Amino acid sequence: MIAEPVSVPRKKKHVQDVLTRSVGRVGRLRLHYATRDGRTIIARSHCTSPWHLLPPIYLDDTGAAYTLLVNPSGGLVGGDHLSIDMKVDEGAHVLISAPSANRVYRSLGEVSAQDIDLAVGPGAIVEWLPEHTIPFAGSRFRQKLHATLAPGATILLWDAIASGRIARGERWAFATLENDIRITTASGSGLLERYALDPSTNLGAIGLAAGWDYVASLYVVNDAITPEVWSRLETRIGLALDEQSEHILGGVSQPAVPGVAVKLLAKSAPDLTKMLDALWAAVRAELWNLPPVAWRKY
Amino acid sequence: MRARDRPAHGAAVFSVLRKGIADKLQADKRRRSLRPILSAYRPEACQPGFMNTRALLEGLRFVDSFFPSGGYAFSSGLEAAVQGGAVKDSDQLGRYVEDLLRGGMSRREVLAAKIANRAGATGVVAPAIEVDRDLEAMKIGRESRAASRQMGRQVLKVAADQLRDKPVVEAYRDAVEADRTPGHLAVSFGLTLGACGWDAQETAAAFLYQTSVGFVSAGMRLSPLGQFEGQRVLGEWLPLIDRISREVDEGMPMSSWSPIQDIYTMRHGRLEWRLFRS
Repeated sequence: MIAEPVSVPRKKKHVQDVLTRSVGRVGRLRLHYATRDGRTIIARSHCTSPWHLLPPIYLDDTGAAYTLLVNPSGGLVGGDHLSIDMKVDEGAHVLISAPSANRVYRSLGEVSAQDIDLAVGPGAIVEWLPEHTIPFAGSRFRQKLHATLAPGATILLWDAIASGRIARGERWAFATLENDIRITTASGSGLLERYALDPSTNLGAIGLAAGWDYVASLYVVNDAITPEVWSRLETRIGLALDEQSEHILGGVSQPAVPGVAVKLLAKSAPDLTKMLDALWAAVRAELWNLPPVAWRKY
Repeated sequence: MRARDRPAHGAAVFSVLRKGIADKLQADKRRRSLRPILSAYRPEACQPGFMNTRALLEGLRFVDSFFPSGGYAFSSGLEAAVQGGAVKDSDQLGRYVEDLLRGGMSRREVLAAKIANRAGATGVVAPAIEVDRDLEAMKIGRESRAASRQMGRQVLKVAADQLRDKPVVEAYRDAVEADRTPGHLAVSFGLTLGACGWDAQETAAAFLYQTSVGFVSAGMRLSPLGQFEGQRVLGEWLPLIDRISREVDEGMPMSSWSPIQDIYTMRHGRLEWRLFRS
């Protein structure tokens, strides 16, 4: 006997939509960094679930405050809208990372959104080095990260995505992924990286990048650093990329604002991490004559 | 010869007339049968406002490879890709460029060209300047930015000189010269063709075609790609060019995804020997 096609009642679909929408959380994290007695401290903070705030730790004697972005829920589900508003006062130095990768779970309809606003004061430094994002099959992720720099402020910004849960053979199977990174200097000029991926469409296809499993960018911007320093850093990073050319495809150049921009592709997470360590070491050495710090998170 | 053996003059005339009428009826019949096909293939041809010959010729100068944009000196990272082993034959060239046109340039340069086209057509320069600045911010490779700006200025130089009855071209040229906007090729090209009377879709297709010809030309100098093979590759890109020029909507935010091509563009400056400037 041939089974009759089952028709889904409209009401049921409506209920499903409502349930999906009700899952999402609106989590806000506000951080205000200032300096006191030669150290960077969190002067004011506010957070709502799922964010969890730990006090900053100090990994070296520079006074730089190291903060982990902790989301104990493990990742973002459809309808989640997480935001971070960070203000960094003049002369402060902040290192930001996360204890684990940013997982984005499958969503039937709602987008998982993450909005980040960074306001970096005069002469302040923000080293933004989160773990990479893993978009699960069927996930819908939208990230917006806007950084505004005062004169002499520095941002070191790392952003990386994986193709999916690679160990499960899940690659480039998300539904949509949008990423919008903008760095604006005091003069108003900027650097913009924006992509909108939707493998079901012609213009949103993954294309040749599908042969790789990690795509990452590193931007370092400061409007008070001389072109000679950026040229030296560019050369240094170029050599570091060449040293790992068997596992990494990467390029470095100078963007429209004073700084360097790096783009790279990697086949594995260890290759990506090793490359990030090398790039980070090159930037800290060239700009501040500092060694990289040990993260103490693994 | 007897008179009755000669063909009658009246009969000959009638025969000619009959053939003429039959031919005309046949031609009308053929035209009627082709009308739906022609209409489906080029519906614009039946609409008022379709690009006229003068507008076509005005714009063609800027699309033609004879135009002195200096584009022959740039490979947009293709040279680094060939040296890096990513492009070894015409098939790989085809995939590399298709991927760049679709993911990298469609919602970046093509979008900018379409917005600038409207600016050129309407005479309002502000949207062109805004999209030009976004393009500057998004092109993170120094060489590709410089190449785009140089070619853009060449287009503007000629356009401002030749299209004197279009104040929008002069206004944009002045903004570029005053360093208020970078003057990228996609914007200069789009604005100029808009001022010439080309619509946004035609301008987008022309921009992509010109870019594609540049890649074939660079590919022929960098690899054993012959003239005939080059034309085959170019022909294979045409359906994609047509599709992109239709699908890109000016309301979209600017975006771009071509990490491999971006990386090779960035790597070009570190090549030991170089034939091209980008």
